[in-house]
Amino acid sequence: MAIDKELLDILACPKCKGNVRLTENRDALICDACKLKYPIKDDIPVMLTDEAEKI
Amino acid sequence: MALQTEEIKKIYGGYSGAYDFIFKGFFYPRIKHAIETMHIKPGDRILDVGVGTGLSLPLFPDYCNVTGVDLSAGMLKEARKKLDKHGIKNVTLLEMDASNLAFGDDSFDHVISTHVISVVPDPVKVIAEMKRVCKKKGNIVLVNHFQSPNKYLAKFDELISPLTKKMGWRTDLSLEKLIRDTNLDVRSQYKMNKIDLWKVVWAVNNKGNRAA
Repeated sequence: MAIDKELLDILACPKCKGNVRLTENRDALICDACKLKYPIKDDIPVMLTDEAEKI
Repeated sequence: MALQTEEIKKIYGGYSGAYDFIFKGFFYPRIKHAIETMHIKPGDRILDVGVGTGLSLPLFPDYCNVTGVDLSAGMLKEARKKLDKHGIKNVTLLEMDASNLAFGDDSFDHVISTHVISVVPDPVKVIAEMKRVCKKKGNIVLVNHFQSPNKYLAKFDELISPLTKKMGWRTDLSLEKLIRDTNLDVRSQYKMNKIDLWKVVWAVNNKGNRAA
């Protein structure tokens, strides 16, 4: 279940609802505005602010 | 009385494996019916809020695009197994908090949520989020147990709510109050049979209208 462009278009940071982008090795989603990294675990993006990593 | 997010995560993570065994017979007919009433068109993008173990997933037509979200990673794991088993290709799963959805506004044509609204700490916020991510005039469909309008049965719902809360849901949620608090434009609400405990609530997204 890869993250396709269509999904990226509608996905948003749960904190600011702004855009997120895939990391280069496609293992996380990043919100540049909030400086938060949302992990992708077993192919499932974890879009929870509590589990996001500060970058 | 509301449930807390962490508590919910723990309860549902704990019995994700047994969930289908316990609930499939109870929930399946209503979920099936609710999906059929959504009038899904080819290419429609559907959001299933609180997809759980994915009981609903084989019921969606293969010509639409389904996104399922749930707070519990354990439940999503079960849902993933179901996708593999049925060879379902049009579903994406994500871990999310229903009261804080990680989607932009107007991302979906229709939004469905079955057996969720009485499980979340803040039902009003969840409905507001469903409205936000759903396009205007899209369908918002809920299947849930609501407190009985009959005052004796309502009392019973209140009495057993502390007990069912331990198992992960509340029984004392009033649909009338919820509709008022969320300004939900409900077009129909009904039970599939007289003694059914669950109601199907079918609304049209009225966001952007005055006071919506």
